[in-house]
Amino acid sequence: MSELYQKLATAILEGSSDKVPGLVQKALDQGLTPKDILDHGMVVGMNEVGARFKRGEMFVPEVLMSAEAMQAGLKVLRPHLASSGAKLIGKIVIGTVKGDLHDIGKNLVGMMCEGAGFEVIDLGFNVDPEKFVQAIKEHRPDIVGLSALLTTTMRAMGHTIKAIEEAGLRDQVKIMVGGAPVDAEFAQRIGADGYGSNAPAGAELAKRFVGAA
Amino acid sequence: MSAQTRPLAVVACRVLQSMLEQLLPPGLTDQVVFLDYGLHRVPGKMTLAVQEALDAIPQASLVVLGYGLCGNGLHGVRAGQHTLLVPRTHDCIALLLGSQQAYMSQFEAVPGTIYLSKGWLESGSHPLKEYQEYAAKYGPQEAEWLLDQQYRNYQRLALVASSQAELEHYRPQALEVARFCERWGYRYEEILGSDDYVRRLIQLAGACARGDSAGDGSPDFLVIPPGGQIDQAQFMR
Repeated sequence: MSELYQKLATAILEGSSDKVPGLVQKALDQGLTPKDILDHGMVVGMNEVGARFKRGEMFVPEVLMSAEAMQAGLKVLRPHLASSGAKLIGKIVIGTVKGDLHDIGKNLVGMMCEGAGFEVIDLGFNVDPEKFVQAIKEHRPDIVGLSALLTTTMRAMGHTIKAIEEAGLRDQVKIMVGGAPVDAEFAQRIGADGYGSNAPAGAELAKRFVGAA
Repeated sequence: MSAQTRPLAVVACRVLQSMLEQLLPPGLTDQVVFLDYGLHRVPGKMTLAVQEALDAIPQASLVVLGYGLCGNGLHGVRAGQHTLLVPRTHDCIALLLGSQQAYMSQFEAVPGTIYLSKGWLESGSHPLKEYQEYAAKYGPQEAEWLLDQQYRNYQRLALVASSQAELEHYRPQALEVARFCERWGYRYEEILGSDDYVRRLIQLAGACARGDSAGDGSPDFLVIPPGGQIDQAQFMR
């Protein structure tokens, strides 16, 4: 059993979109629960992707291929997660902040959160602070996730949090931030509730926010 | 020459090599090191590479860093025995355009811009070059998908040069990249930049090395004294 988890994690790490669906199906056929397949196999693979990317041992193309493999696995797993009675654990609004066009990291966080059982509302990239405010009013999420790749745009995260405060909505949501130039100290300085060092860490943080970790 | 004269060294990104070499007075620098253009993609590695280059300079020097903050690549770099002089900007684009103000106005007008320059075309990378590298490694179909993921959101490809002659010289290469980027609907523009920022950096370095200036009067430069450390917050204006 643990060998199958290991194979799944390795297939994700290697970006083998062709192997992952079969391995997920095999795990389901063996009676493993969808949640265990996700947590002990697929997420383990993505965690390693995140760690290697940070160390410069994996680059954007490889990360994208791993994400694609993860997505292919989730496609097989999703109906089973739903039918096994796993409820949505919360709602999250995510977006890349104003001035920033980079959405690979944000998309990864969205995918990991969806895998973890969140309803994800993705506002896209170059998102105005006001658009985040509107989305909170409309969707009433538990969490707001802000992403930025550039040091030029990371300050827009602070502006967005300020806009949420000024709209009187700050106490209704947890705010998490992430992206290459962001660290825990910066997150604290701009008044975020937490920082995710990579996509799996972001999803883990989101789970903690809703008491599901 | 005053008694305070210090050796001058340069540690810079390879995409700025030609600009710096044109402007550095012959014989002024004892040591010039150019590092790989792609370091900013792994900021933790860039910090180490710059640190290693600094630590390899044997005598206490005034070291010009030909870098911006570069995605935090300079964050945490320690001066050690040296004094560091750093352009106070996010990345090389301000150095190519001539000022932080010029960069910010371009950024606000079209945030989704891929910049090309002599250095980026000759020593760096761009979407077409990346496509060719990916296609050789993963095949054309996968390469197209990978490029789409990374570049589909941008709107503009801009060639920056500090003279009309340089713009004209690099136009054919830039247009080749522009044609490739048409798949994402980019528009192509040419921007006449300026070498003012780099020129000021070198003038200030000369004055600091001679002991004529402490170099700390301008908001456009950071001076990190011996024992000091570069911090991300210092770049925020």
